Amino acid sequence: MVNFEIPNFVPALPEIFVLTMACVILIFDLFIKDNDRIVTFVLAIGTLVGAMMLTISLSETGRVLTFNDMFVSDPMGNVLKVFIYLVTAVVFIYSRQYLKQRGLFKGEYFVLGLFGVLGMMVMVSAHSMLTLYMGLELLSLSLYAMVAFQRDSLSATEAAMKYFVLGALASGMLLYGMSMLYGVAGTLDIAGISAVVAQSPNNIILLLGLAFVVVGLAFKLGAVPFHMWVPDVYQGAPTPVTMYIGAAPKIAAFAMVMRLLVEGLGDLHGHWQTMLVVLAILSIVIGNVVAIAQTNLKRMLAYSTISHVGFILLGILAGTENGYSASMFYVVVYALTSMGAFGMIIVLSRAGFEADNIDDFKGLNERSPWLAAMMMILMFSMAGVPPTVGFYAKLSVLQSIVQVDLVWLAVTAVVFSVVGAFYYLRIIKTMYFDKPEDTAKIEAGMDMRIVISLNSLGMLALGIFPAALMQWCIVVM
Amino acid sequence: MNLFFAVLTPFLGAVLVAWASRFGRSHAAWAAGGVALTALAWLSPLLSQPFAGTTVVQRLEWMPSVGLDLVFRLDGLGLLFAGLILGIGLLVILYARYYLSERDSMGRLYAYLLLFMGSMLGVVLSENLIQLLIFWELTSLSSFLLIAYWREREMARMGARMALAITGAGGLALLGGILLLGEITGSYELSVILASGDLIRGHSLYLPTLILVLLGAFTKSAQFPFHFWLPHAMAAPTPVSAYLHSATMVKAGVFLLARLFPALSGTPEWSWLVGGAGLCTLLLGAVVALFKHDLKGLLAYSTISHLGLITLLFGIATPMAVVAGVFHIINHAIFKASLFMAAGIIDHETGTRDMRRMQGLWQFMPFTATLAMVAAASMAGVPLFNGFLSKEMLFVEASEMASQQSFGWLLPVTVTVAGIFAVAYSLRFIHDVFFGGKPLELPRTPHEPPRWMKVPVEVLVLLCLVVGLFPAQTVAPLLAVAAASTLQTALPEYNLAIWHGFNPALWMSVTALVGGVLLYLVRRPFSLLHDRFEGQLDARRLYNALLQGLMVIARRITALLDVGSLQRMVFVFIGFALLLGWMGWSGDRSVLTGSRPLLPVDAMSLLVTAVLTVISVAVVILHRQRFTALVLVGFVGLVVSLIFVKFSAPDLALTQLLVEVVTVVLLLLALYFLPQHSPVESHPLRRSRDGLLALLVGGGVGALAWAVLTRPHSSIGDFFLANSVSGGGGSNVVNVILVDFRGFDTLGEITVLALAGLAVYALLEKLHISGPSQNADGRDWNWDLHPVIMASFTRLLLPLALLVSVFILLRGHNLPGGGFIAGLVTAVALIMQYLANGVAWTHSRLSANMHPVVGVGLLIATLTGLGSFVFGYPFLTSTFGHMKWPLVGDFELASAMAFDLGVYLVVVGATLLILIHLGLMHGKEPVRGKGGH
Repeated sequence: MVNFEIPNFVPALPEIFVLTMACVILIFDLFIKDNDRIVTFVLAIGTLVGAMMLTISLSETGRVLTFNDMFVSDPMGNVLKVFIYLVTAVVFIYSRQYLKQRGLFKGEYFVLGLFGVLGMMVMVSAHSMLTLYMGLELLSLSLYAMVAFQRDSLSATEAAMKYFVLGALASGMLLYGMSMLYGVAGTLDIAGISAVVAQSPNNIILLLGLAFVVVGLAFKLGAVPFHMWVPDVYQGAPTPVTMYIGAAPKIAAFAMVMRLLVEGLGDLHGHWQTMLVVLAILSIVIGNVVAIAQTNLKRMLAYSTISHVGFILLGILAGTENGYSASMFYVVVYALTSMGAFGMIIVLSRAGFEADNIDDFKGLNERSPWLAAMMMILMFSMAGVPPTVGFYAKLSVLQSIVQVDLVWLAVTAVVFSVVGAFYYLRIIKTMYFDKPEDTAKIEAGMDMRIVISLNSLGMLALGIFPAALMQWCIVVM
Repeated sequence: MNLFFAVLTPFLGAVLVAWASRFGRSHAAWAAGGVALTALAWLSPLLSQPFAGTTVVQRLEWMPSVGLDLVFRLDGLGLLFAGLILGIGLLVILYARYYLSERDSMGRLYAYLLLFMGSMLGVVLSENLIQLLIFWELTSLSSFLLIAYWREREMARMGARMALAITGAGGLALLGGILLLGEITGSYELSVILASGDLIRGHSLYLPTLILVLLGAFTKSAQFPFHFWLPHAMAAPTPVSAYLHSATMVKAGVFLLARLFPALSGTPEWSWLVGGAGLCTLLLGAVVALFKHDLKGLLAYSTISHLGLITLLFGIATPMAVVAGVFHIINHAIFKASLFMAAGIIDHETGTRDMRRMQGLWQFMPFTATLAMVAAASMAGVPLFNGFLSKEMLFVEASEMASQQSFGWLLPVTVTVAGIFAVAYSLRFIHDVFFGGKPLELPRTPHEPPRWMKVPVEVLVLLCLVVGLFPAQTVAPLLAVAAASTLQTALPEYNLAIWHGFNPALWMSVTALVGGVLLYLVRRPFSLLHDRFEGQLDARRLYNALLQGLMVIARRITALLDVGSLQRMVFVFIGFALLLGWMGWSGDRSVLTGSRPLLPVDAMSLLVTAVLTVISVAVVILHRQRFTALVLVGFVGLVVSLIFVKFSAPDLALTQLLVEVVTVVLLLLALYFLPQHSPVESHPLRRSRDGLLALLVGGGVGALAWAVLTRPHSSIGDFFLANSVSGGGGSNVVNVILVDFRGFDTLGEITVLALAGLAVYALLEKLHISGPSQNADGRDWNWDLHPVIMASFTRLLLPLALLVSVFILLRGHNLPGGGFIAGLVTAVALIMQYLANGVAWTHSRLSANMHPVVGVGLLIATLTGLGSFVFGYPFLTSTFGHMKWPLVGDFELASAMAFDLGVYLVVVGATLLILIHLGLMHGKEPVRGKGGH
């Protein structure tokens, strides 16, 4: 007689809430008219707010395992989840106008978005390779569908196809790796794997499993040489979807790396460090250099993402708590900043005009000095110029790798961030020094302007007072 | 807290000024002046402390978690610089009020200036190096804004960008250096770092640290080879040049050298790098300055040269040289700021800066000319002016070095040559502008500037004179504390007198003065030579070429990597995965084959394996002929099921067999709409490349499988074998797992299967596609779609097949079989009817509506699960009992049976739903001829 124990559902309350709400919205959305679609939007935002409150209310309990140790609720996960909600909610707010103008303001976007959030939450809270994979696939499938969401767009369809084929391949690799880990450890439990690894760190199957797991992770993060999907998807997808992909899933991917590599395979640090060094260096170099040649802003930001992923990997490969918290800080900051940058594209766009070429930003200062200033702050934050928060993100990551004596790595990273600064500066130059080509009025409504201003000024404020966020990242490690 | 507020005040003041400018131009100026005075007021209570020998350190918690606090430090050096920044800042604010024309925005300039002032104060008052770096980058940013103040001018934008690119990049290098310093000493605080000079110099990271820090300092202070941005920054309004590019910002680099002097100096590396850069800059700046026709260009190169002089003094690194260096910082700031302001007045009053057009301005503005002459004399190093004193100290140091090194004589010679050029360009500045004929076609008739525009120049020129005449009474105490805090040791003995007797330095001064005058007199041919090569040696072109080069490289790499071809992406992806796998493999040199003993090989297995290999290869070779390939793939599946039989897994074998049948039928239905041959689309080279990769990957996976299979492992199978009967009441472990141990999973799976069926139905419903009516060779399909023999044969088979499926379903719990297999058998049997008898015939006998079947199946399965709630057990708890059943024998009735029935129904329903609708897609009757529905 095999019995199910009733698991403790409380730690998973936010997940359960999001799942329920996503299903409710899915059904509910079928019965409302196009004019009332705003209700779906409000419900989606409400779901995220509710989930945030649930997560915060759970944050006092510390580390709890449930569902036969397949699910963990811990401080790191809670902080990451809060940022996932926050980022996604802001993405939704940014997206509304864009979708509306193009007749895409449908429930699917928000429902898929919420399912994606659920996937991310499961990834963040996974304590078993099975849960992790389930969350990842839930997220990935939502993303594939979202990329193809604008069905009459050829480039979006092509991007979705590429993303799907490569994504499936990567998931396959990840599973292959996981199966090897399982073969050696005899368990899917992260803690169980960790215990086995500690006993036999030189098992060859384990190392091969590790290699394939790293391939899968590198793909999901978008690290070179597994980055090829990033530019195409970023450029091809509708801007709100690009924004969605670029922001919160990076946080989830970071959590996945932490759970798998650090918690599960921490004792193989020496082995994965080498792999991550290669990935990080390649990402920083290729990402920054290729970004220079781009004329499409979304594509440029895609390459910039790749280089930022390199930095995130730097902190992780340091293998110290300082490094992990630095990476976490970096990924959160990056998600917030990239959201703002894509938000600006949306703010400037209107029906029939995407504003996603760098030339579309020409003379923005003459058209709207305020928005130009906001964009400048965002670009400075991406480039890592003080006093924006991007600087501290880079600083703490570099500090952490200097502490483990990888000085050459730090120097290379610094040199290529100089190269990187160049293309961010080019945007600023374009906005301030060039004559505007597009002279139409900027259509963005007041809500968009307020959000983008808060977003940008937030980067500045966090740069002047980074203590709180940094403190969080350190405490939860 | 005073220091913190002193730094913060200008930042807040910038906002205030921007706001105040709404009320008028003078309001902005007054507000800006007030802000600078307020900052000074914050500092004033502390001013006496550095003179008393104490270093003020004030700490403010900021990021306690990472050990980064806002820490400010006021010592002699900081005091000196803060004084320069605020003092000259006040003068510049006054000057700018009259310099800017009506069209220019007053508020913007003052706001930027105050931003810069705050950043610069931050740099010189920081105790923490990271904090210093933040302010350092802020000076780069605010200088960018100031240079680009006239943003409609192309030159201003270019100059601003270049300055930001160079100094910003230098700042990042400095960041690297600071991180290394922090790593070496364990702290970013100056008090710690300055005290651990020996530790730093002895550390293996010393050289990289030094180079990175120097990169930061040299870019900021426009040292060779990074000097070229400074002349282009002259596009800024003149007050900005006077403030940033003579007195303060460019001094940040030498400030850093002074600040870190105790920590980094005293090694040959330091001497060579710092001294070498300083010497090159000194000479280069002086030579180029002589030939510049632009008034501000001349001053810019002269500034470069003087910064080189200061750097050289720090490079010489004797305590006396450091005193001289600090002294020259003061002197240069005073005379160069006044010269810039004078140049600004001239520009302002004449409308041009080209020295070839203005001559004889003496008659229009004698007072300004006098002021400029005094300042220029100081720049040239004429005795009785302040520039002479520090230059004389350099000459002393240089002549002393002469005896210590083998090529030491080069130093005094070069320094003297630079001195000659300095005298010559100072002379040119005076003579070309104020004397020597009448001005040519000036845009405006010049006259003396407004009263208050002259005041700042007067003040500075007065300082030149006073310091030059009475150094010991005026500047000595400040110099003493500044130099002492730079050295962090006791000061050497020195005398600030003007007259030191007849020593080599005096002769060098005399040579410079006489030589300078001579050089000026014979400069014409040199000047022509320079004009001819002007532009060819322009660093701006180098800079642009560098940027272009970067762009070209970026484009090449993009063209190489970013192709957008999915095939390429997949190739790269798999290739690198292979590489990483190989890395994982070679990371540990253990053997491929594990310790597990191999099973004996029998002839039958060998034969089956060989057949499998041959068929697989055949599939690859024949894959363009789709039908053949499909048949072969089916064959592979069959052989695989044989392998399952060999390893005693009858359930798997059965499932494999049936799944194979269903998939082949499915593919056949799809193939009907597709061309019968796949076209050749890729180049043979590419195919062989892909083939090679495929071989490697296959080999890798094979090797991996070998490695895994030859190693001992504990299987979870044992658990199920042991618990299958006791826990699930069945001896067929596979089935017990499906319906009991992992019943929850199965429930999920059948739900997915049902949904997939519904989705296919939703997609294909009412979809009609016309298939071809001919085969690839152009022949029509056979007219007889349903051959009679086939049809009657399958009708006979149907009851038999159904019986088998019921049998399999019932015995499934203990013997090979179960709901899934039984469902497939039923589905295959029914599909056969469709294939052999046609859709119409079958539909007249069997409802095409499979939704109820699927629904009922799901319902039964779910209800079974819920049923256990009734008895107080959790969801899907199973129970079982035994009963006699005629014909079948002892029969075990488990609640799992009902669950299995659900599975059976869902499988039948969903499979039929999918296949029928695929089959119905091309209409009831095949299309004849061209065209379709």
